[in-house]
Amino acid sequence: MLRFDRRLVLNFDWVLLLILVLIGIMGLTNLYSASHSGRMLGTPVYMKQLYFFIIGFGLILAIVSVDYKVLLSWNYSLYVIACLLLLFSLLFGKSVANTQRWINFGFFYLQPSEPAKLTLVITLASYYYRKDTGKGFSLKELTVPMLLTALPFLLILKQPDLGTALMLLFIFVSMTLFVKLRWQTLAILSGTCLSAIPIGWKFFLKPYQRQRIETFMNPEGDPLNTGYHIMQSKIAVGSGLKFGKGFMHGTQGQLDFLPERHTDFAFSVWAEEWGFVGSLILLGCYFFMILWGLNIAVSSRDKFGVLLAFGIVSLIFWQAFINLAMVMGLLPVVGMPLPLFSYGGSSLMTTMIGIGILMNIRMRRYMASS
Amino acid sequence: MSRFLTSIHKMDEAELNTLKRRIDIATAVAIFFIAILIVRLWYLQIHRGDDYAQLSENNRVRAQDLNAPRGNILDRQGRIIITNRPCFNIVWVREDAPNPDVVLKKLSRILHEDISVLLKRIRSYADHPRYMPFRLQEDIDWRTLVYIENHRLDLPGVRIEVLPTRDYLHGDLASHLIGYLGEINEKEMKKHADGDYDLGDQIGKMGIEKIYEKYLHGEKGRKYLEVDVHGLEQKQIKVRKPLPGDDLQLTIDIDLQETAEKAMADKAGAVIAMDVKTGKLLAMASTPAMHLEEFIGGISTVAWKGMLNNPLHPLIDKTIQGQYPPGSTYKIVTALAALSEGATTPETIVYCPGYYSFGNRKYGCWKKTGHGPVNLRRALKESCDVYFYQMGQKLGVDTLARYAHSLGLGSKTGLEMENEKSGLTPTEAWKRKRYNESWQDGETLSVAIGQGFNLTTPLQVCRMTAATVNGGILFQPQIVESITDPDGKKIKQFEPIIEGHALGTQEDLDIIREALTAVVNEPHGTGQASRLKEISVGGKTGTAQVIHLSKYRDAKPEEIPYKYRDHAWFTCFAPSENPEIAVTVLIEHGGHGGSAAGPVAKQILQRYFAKKTAVAQKLQP
Repeated sequence: MLRFDRRLVLNFDWVLLLILVLIGIMGLTNLYSASHSGRMLGTPVYMKQLYFFIIGFGLILAIVSVDYKVLLSWNYSLYVIACLLLLFSLLFGKSVANTQRWINFGFFYLQPSEPAKLTLVITLASYYYRKDTGKGFSLKELTVPMLLTALPFLLILKQPDLGTALMLLFIFVSMTLFVKLRWQTLAILSGTCLSAIPIGWKFFLKPYQRQRIETFMNPEGDPLNTGYHIMQSKIAVGSGLKFGKGFMHGTQGQLDFLPERHTDFAFSVWAEEWGFVGSLILLGCYFFMILWGLNIAVSSRDKFGVLLAFGIVSLIFWQAFINLAMVMGLLPVVGMPLPLFSYGGSSLMTTMIGIGILMNIRMRRYMASS
Repeated sequence: MSRFLTSIHKMDEAELNTLKRRIDIATAVAIFFIAILIVRLWYLQIHRGDDYAQLSENNRVRAQDLNAPRGNILDRQGRIIITNRPCFNIVWVREDAPNPDVVLKKLSRILHEDISVLLKRIRSYADHPRYMPFRLQEDIDWRTLVYIENHRLDLPGVRIEVLPTRDYLHGDLASHLIGYLGEINEKEMKKHADGDYDLGDQIGKMGIEKIYEKYLHGEKGRKYLEVDVHGLEQKQIKVRKPLPGDDLQLTIDIDLQETAEKAMADKAGAVIAMDVKTGKLLAMASTPAMHLEEFIGGISTVAWKGMLNNPLHPLIDKTIQGQYPPGSTYKIVTALAALSEGATTPETIVYCPGYYSFGNRKYGCWKKTGHGPVNLRRALKESCDVYFYQMGQKLGVDTLARYAHSLGLGSKTGLEMENEKSGLTPTEAWKRKRYNESWQDGETLSVAIGQGFNLTTPLQVCRMTAATVNGGILFQPQIVESITDPDGKKIKQFEPIIEGHALGTQEDLDIIREALTAVVNEPHGTGQASRLKEISVGGKTGTAQVIHLSKYRDAKPEEIPYKYRDHAWFTCFAPSENPEIAVTVLIEHGGHGGSAAGPVAKQILQRYFAKKTAVAQKLQP
């Protein structure tokens, strides 16, 4: 198993690595600026993020050296571990701003909802790979994947972390649509979902979550409180104009007007300081990464690889899209980092592991039948 | 490993193609969503970019007004009466105070102010935005300031604001004349809509400060600061310096004003000194003074009520708002009318037995034993009432009124001050209109000696005196000499304004002037208390009856209740040969004019001529 295969080196996905490094450099540069004026103690966040990147590259190396197909046998163990971590964080986790999202590992606070996303991708890919008959799934056959999604979904919703919970739904929907569905299944499912929205609004959303969505609809209504984030973020992005205010010269970011500017709103800092041109470059990188990922899915010779690659790409894509749409005022504010760009070890590790798996699939595209 | 590999489902071509088609759809979906992001980015950064750039500037830049120091107020020699000093206010910013209770508890200890007072003040600003500062306490003392500055970090939410405020170098000197400042109200905001006033600004509320507000105010400056989200100053972007107000040079002489106010220290009344040849006022004092310092930062209710209820009425400017019967000083009017109208000559003798019978009533002379035979000169010198009763009877009230008017009585002097009273010079027509009754001849007798309906302000009497001895010229009294802008350029010089001329010839006026000189300088003159060694002074005493009560007729002044005592007048001029200065003193309930008011006038004259001698000696070493 550990026999070194020359083809692995030859087939290594240098392109994906290059995009990863590019986005990483931009992200670290941006974090340097975003954390510059902050009165934070200890290691600056860009340094911590750099360490996570280095660890992440180590993880990628480890991942690519093992055939991704092992995941088929590991997936239920992974799923159980992820759910246990979620449960543990709920029961014993560190509470930040009334949410239970963190587990203290001494050197590192783990946010178990991040690996849970990736675990769900792996779990669903395995399940669909095993059960796909090629005739499309019936509602009955979807019961298991729905339950597999519902458990971590509810655990995360309980933290509460609406953004991440919704992410699990996005993954489920994307991957389920990707494998074949029966038309009637699709119709029933979408009907149920639509009717569930008002019920969910009334019974499942916390008041602050409802308020966030209401504020999103009318941000100018209450500019100093809840609409503040959206307003300030739009101002930051908009005031960047064509070429930006220059590195470290963004006033919205440097003068503290932007909240959460090294995590969820990191892109606002970037857009303010680098303008339309800089933003397009960053967006282009993500776009290219998505297309490349889809290409990896297509070129995979086995169906598990296709499903897994597609799941990982949709995970990265939806996070990026929701985050960017949110900071540009197109979607309500939910906790959602920009993968690879926002500060946060759990998110960065998860994304890099996902990219590692993508590379793994890419490298073994000719080896599936061997 | 091989177990996995063999278990891997190998796709046939058809299945692979289906998946590829789905990937194509997924690609299209991704392109669609990314296109949305790019369009949004373009909309924010390019299409509406300038709007957001402006909003970001508004966030970043905070403009701060810099209050201009008001113009100085100087005396006629250019000595500063009032200037500015920094005033330190405690300002509260709710946004910066996470634990207001703790901070306010500390603050109340520092300020020796009950915490409820501070809370009340804060509550009154409840509808202000949280970031907007407002004043908690104004004009704190130096020790409090140092303490707060040293404990800044323990007092989040507390800031110190520095504003220029009035510095009264001479205390309450000329308080009524100068007036005071106060916080601008809505009405004043409307009135000065074109000026750069904001709520909370100081504005002249009275006196010179109010009338010359336009000049004294200056022009606000502006400071542009870069602030962070907490409003903390990061750096200064640019500054437009404030333009100080124009300096106002008064015609007032600090020394004479001080002398007047000191001489009147324990009395209620008015003193006016006028340059006879220009109508400019050298001193203008009303006592008791207002306490100007108490008005800084808004006068307290207690202090205000105290002034309002003070029986000596410190809030009234008695020089122009106090209306008193002119008493015997009015005999100048009667004498001038009598001479001009030919009712008397300098030689005409009238016998005074101590009373004058008219109708079925006896009108008493102040000297009950009578003056015997008196001519005009002696009648003025000894203030014989009987002589002037007869003159009044001959002339009639309307003729007297004509002469009184020509000497400026019965109408406002036109001094540039607010709320000046016009006094009252009665006529037959006036009485008919006012009371719907016809004039009684007996009333003319009272008017002729300055009693009855007659009312004058001290300023009117002073101007009358000046007009009597300056060739009959009635000047409009002035208190401002010139206005100078902050660069030292004189932008306005006030020239004397002639308002009219006294009726009567120069000869008649000379006769009166000579007689008035005798009042001070000859035996039996009523004004001898004001005699000076070197300089010849002329003047006229007056004792204005407040109330006619028979039970007090023979009582000594000390035995009469204060409010019923007569007002004491003395109006004078010097040097009598060629008068330069006229001084009028009125002491409310002061008793006899000569003895009560005379010495006050004398002190002012002494000071005036002492200064003049000193200047002359300096010029001729």
